[in-house]
Amino acid sequence: MRPSVRKSVFAGMAGLSLIGTVAGCAPSASQSAAAPSSGSGSRESSAATPSGASSSLASSGSSYKDGTYSADGTYVSPNGTETVGVELTLAAGTVTDVKITQHPTNPNTRKFQGEFAGGIAAQVVGKSIDQLNVSKVSGSSLTSGGFNQAVEKIKSEAQ
Amino acid sequence: MPHAEWEDFTFDGIGTRWDISTPRPLDASVRSRLLAIVERYDADWSRFRSDSIVSAMSRQPGRFELPAEAAALGDLYRTLYGITNGAMTPLIGASLERLGYDAAYSLRPSGSALPAPRWEDILDWDGTVLTTSAPAVLDIGAAGKGQLVDLLAAELHASGVGGFLIDASGDLLNSGPEPVTVALEHPYDPAKAIGTVSLEGGAICASAANRRTWGDGLHHVLDGTTGSPVRTSVATWAMAESTMLADALATALFFVPGADLERTFEFSWLTVFSDGSAAYSAGFEGTLFS
Repeated sequence: MRPSVRKSVFAGMAGLSLIGTVAGCAPSASQSAAAPSSGSGSRESSAATPSGASSSLASSGSSYKDGTYSADGTYVSPNGTETVGVELTLAAGTVTDVKITQHPTNPNTRKFQGEFAGGIAAQVVGKSIDQLNVSKVSGSSLTSGGFNQAVEKIKSEAQ
Repeated sequence: MPHAEWEDFTFDGIGTRWDISTPRPLDASVRSRLLAIVERYDADWSRFRSDSIVSAMSRQPGRFELPAEAAALGDLYRTLYGITNGAMTPLIGASLERLGYDAAYSLRPSGSALPAPRWEDILDWDGTVLTTSAPAVLDIGAAGKGQLVDLLAAELHASGVGGFLIDASGDLLNSGPEPVTVALEHPYDPAKAIGTVSLEGGAICASAANRRTWGDGLHHVLDGTTGSPVRTSVATWAMAESTMLADALATALFFVPGADLERTFEFSWLTVFSDGSAAYSAGFEGTLFS
């Protein structure tokens, strides 16, 4: 499976051959290459307060077109190849937002994501791992390889 | 690398990425012995390999002799089977297959959820000898990776390698002189962490329900009494002296409150629930961001 970069707000398509459910993930909001999906107003405000989630694009010194980009990365879990969708918002050469996209066709994942996002402010708080002085991460995602793969695709596509 | 100047030995094994950090590069002979242990473990225990002992058990009942590590694995599973009232069981393999988690990676349910067979009905696990009265799909996924970490650690100690850190894709064993700061991965955003913990010596393992999703509401942590996925806890961590124990208890936390498990096991725990709240033992005090 070779996932491709698509300039659209949807990610996760490349995993559908594995998941086997296509209907709920129709790319109803596809964007052309010349029309990035993020609005200019929100871009400015987020650029003023960059999240710092990743600085790898900005640090290369290259210039990238503003916009929201998505790509899939694959990684091999103990039981096969799986897919993670990564969506980056670029503004003035800086990554202003990073979203990890799960398959929206999965109602259970959607439900958990919604519930978790609602309660996280009151309880558990996430911080960007890039901003932490750590060398090791304990988790079960196994997605770092897939994430990096997707970011590389976006870098080459956004130039 | 956990420490500057340390060397990494990286390889793939049992379907995941491994990274062993040591102060000095490992000799070629040590590396080949480590890889041989990984290959041997996979060849014995993988239900995804038709040539494994475990695959043979799924084809017909009988008496099966497994390697030395089977004794500790069986004891731990039997204890947790009791504490979780049968929910956590190595006989969950057929339930996983039913939900599409099979050797062919069909990722499609082939019927309604299938409860695991009762241990006492079909399995006698006596040390390294397993005797079955019916074909059984054994799945040691809840503790196997951790046990393999411990087996590699034993080989490193036997080879005279004092300090090392083993990273089995997020399950960690620190046997180095210095504590290692470990980020606790956000259950829904691998670019984020919900806290950091100092791993002084011993193991930390994680389990999460949202990963490896493959269909409508099906994920890989199953309740053995119903064969259906568990839904309340979304992420768990366990710290213990042995990686096998930490690995198994990270899964057990999906079925049993950590405080209950503490009556039987010496370990630290953290459970994050689907509403974003968290519960933890003293060992995780002060680790979560606020």
